[in-house]
Amino acid sequence: MEHFRETSGHKRRVLIVDDEMVNREILGNILSGKYDVSYAGDGQEALELIKGEKPGFSLVLLDLIMPRMDGFELIKLMRADNEMRSIPVIVMTAEADAEVKSINLGAADFITKPYDMPEVIIARCERIIEFSEDKTIISSAEKDNLTGLYSRDFFFEYIRQIEEFNNDTRMDAVVFNIDHFHLINEMYGRKTGDKVLKGLADILMNIFEDVAGIGCRAEADRYYVYCQHQYSYDNIMQKIQDNLPELSEKAKIRVRMGIYPNVEKDIEVEAWFDRAKVACDRIRGDYTKSMTMYSSELHEISRYHEELINEIDEAIENRDLIVFYQPKYGIQGDKPVLKSAEALIRWKHPRRGMISPGDFIPLFESNGLIQKLDNYTWEEVAHQIRRWREKYGRVIPVSVNVSRIDIYDPALEKKLMKLVEDCNLTTKDIMLEITESAYSDNQDTLVRVVENLRNRGFKIEMDDFGSGYSSLNMLTTIAIDVIKIDMKFIRNMLKDDKSLRMVKLIMDIAGFLEVPVVTEGVEEKAQVDKLREMGCDLIQGYYFSKPVPPEDFEKLIDKEMQG
Amino acid sequence: MLTIESLKEFGADTVSGLQRCMGNEALYLRLAGSVAKEPGFDKLKEAIDAGDRSAAFDAAHSLKGVLGNLSITPLYNKAAEISDALKAGEDRDYAALVGELTALKDKYAALI
Repeated sequence: MEHFRETSGHKRRVLIVDDEMVNREILGNILSGKYDVSYAGDGQEALELIKGEKPGFSLVLLDLIMPRMDGFELIKLMRADNEMRSIPVIVMTAEADAEVKSINLGAADFITKPYDMPEVIIARCERIIEFSEDKTIISSAEKDNLTGLYSRDFFFEYIRQIEEFNNDTRMDAVVFNIDHFHLINEMYGRKTGDKVLKGLADILMNIFEDVAGIGCRAEADRYYVYCQHQYSYDNIMQKIQDNLPELSEKAKIRVRMGIYPNVEKDIEVEAWFDRAKVACDRIRGDYTKSMTMYSSELHEISRYHEELINEIDEAIENRDLIVFYQPKYGIQGDKPVLKSAEALIRWKHPRRGMISPGDFIPLFESNGLIQKLDNYTWEEVAHQIRRWREKYGRVIPVSVNVSRIDIYDPALEKKLMKLVEDCNLTTKDIMLEITESAYSDNQDTLVRVVENLRNRGFKIEMDDFGSGYSSLNMLTTIAIDVIKIDMKFIRNMLKDDKSLRMVKLIMDIAGFLEVPVVTEGVEEKAQVDKLREMGCDLIQGYYFSKPVPPEDFEKLIDKEMQG
Repeated sequence: MLTIESLKEFGADTVSGLQRCMGNEALYLRLAGSVAKEPGFDKLKEAIDAGDRSAAFDAAHSLKGVLGNLSITPLYNKAAEISDALKAGEDRDYAALVGELTALKDKYAALI
């Protein structure tokens, strides 16, 4: 990746400014093997050329004494100009004191007349050009300490420099991300995380070297690669996938790739990678895809997501995030009895109106912000349970969601206990719903956390049972108190025999384990009757009530109390 | 017709001159041939005649650069002598010095 400058194959442009044709020709003859040489007979002419077409000059070789505009004046003008300032100038002179004066004015070096041997002149020019190009990009740390890749700032500057001489080559901007890297850090510790980051950097460097790629680590677990345009990335992705198992013995690493192909050279370098990033973020959490290309439609979605992410703190502060409650009714008695509720978060946005949970829950699950949302919900719920207890003299237990990332929060138990104490509740009053996704990562942690919570007296509910691959595994690994059947079985149970039999099977399992079953998504009386007949204990669904704000939920309590 | 031989005979350091032209003999001879018509000689004479030492220095200095790069040693030495003296502000008989330079230049032009 280091030698892009040499391999790009484009000659740097140098400008020779001297009023003597003989000097111009001798010098031009020396330099034209290595550089694309232009000539000017005085400062004025030079100025016009420098300000002219792109790519700009990498070096100006300047005679001092010339008619019209002399060398001193040209240097002064160049140094005062923002763009021309970066072009190094080598002064050519036979006068020793002029050398000092020109260096003071900002000349990078000088060449004496009569000229030294050609090799010496070429070497001086090379050195000055290289030095000057490095200087403009060296202002920030060149390399990322951990991975040895370029730092982000250096990377962008380097690309701008490549583009200066390489503008007509088709190039791609590629972004890589590690799925759920925050979990890797939390579950296995920083050291493992760092090892993964370094390992992935090595893999990327190796693979992209073949296509003249350069790379940087842009942020924590995000990598940028700039490389020659590829017709397909299938092979590259395959090679990366093949190497991933080596990164960690413990953690399963998934990498996703977003590509902005054949970058539009007229827009900012940073924007190329923003686009590739949009594509990369789009497939976050989608386990069926590991790479995708940028499109303008993706751009819109990502802007929307970005706004939601930026607004979450404000939403919590302004209480735009509202906890709704959906009642659960016991159906085994003569008539349904309100037993408990499930807390569900809703976002009432001041501009957008109600935002569908489907828009923000998966988004926040994917980036860890869900923890913030969960913590907020728990707090709201604890206080609500207390208020209802004070108002009605009875406790309505409420189930809350415990996301995968919460399981790895070392303060989880402490947070929940504090809420219980603050609101003078018992641990039975808040029920904790865990989904199967919490199971798939690190079973030891999950088992330990669940055991501790159960020892404290919390009830653990297994949410969406039957929806994934490891539902049964999870049942044998951790002790749970309630099974919630995935709503898609309920929805289809009267239409399709398979779903009905699944429901029956899950009931049998629950019976065997001696835990109650909750069914979600119940909408019709026929479903309620069937479920009662099958021995289901609790029902949640539109048949009784949709999720409602606390004040509406109170109407349900009132109704219940009146009998 | 100017040749490496005739240049050598005149006193030029053709080895250095050719080296600066990266061994390109045709280029070297073409550039060396252009020297006789170098406007700097006339400019220097006019400036000295007019008593404009600053303009004279510029012209002498330019000649010195060109002649040095081509290693036409006798001409270079004389141009350097004038240039250095003017720069140092020495009170010399510049008309005579320029006369010597012109004579050398004419001798050189005869080679061409």
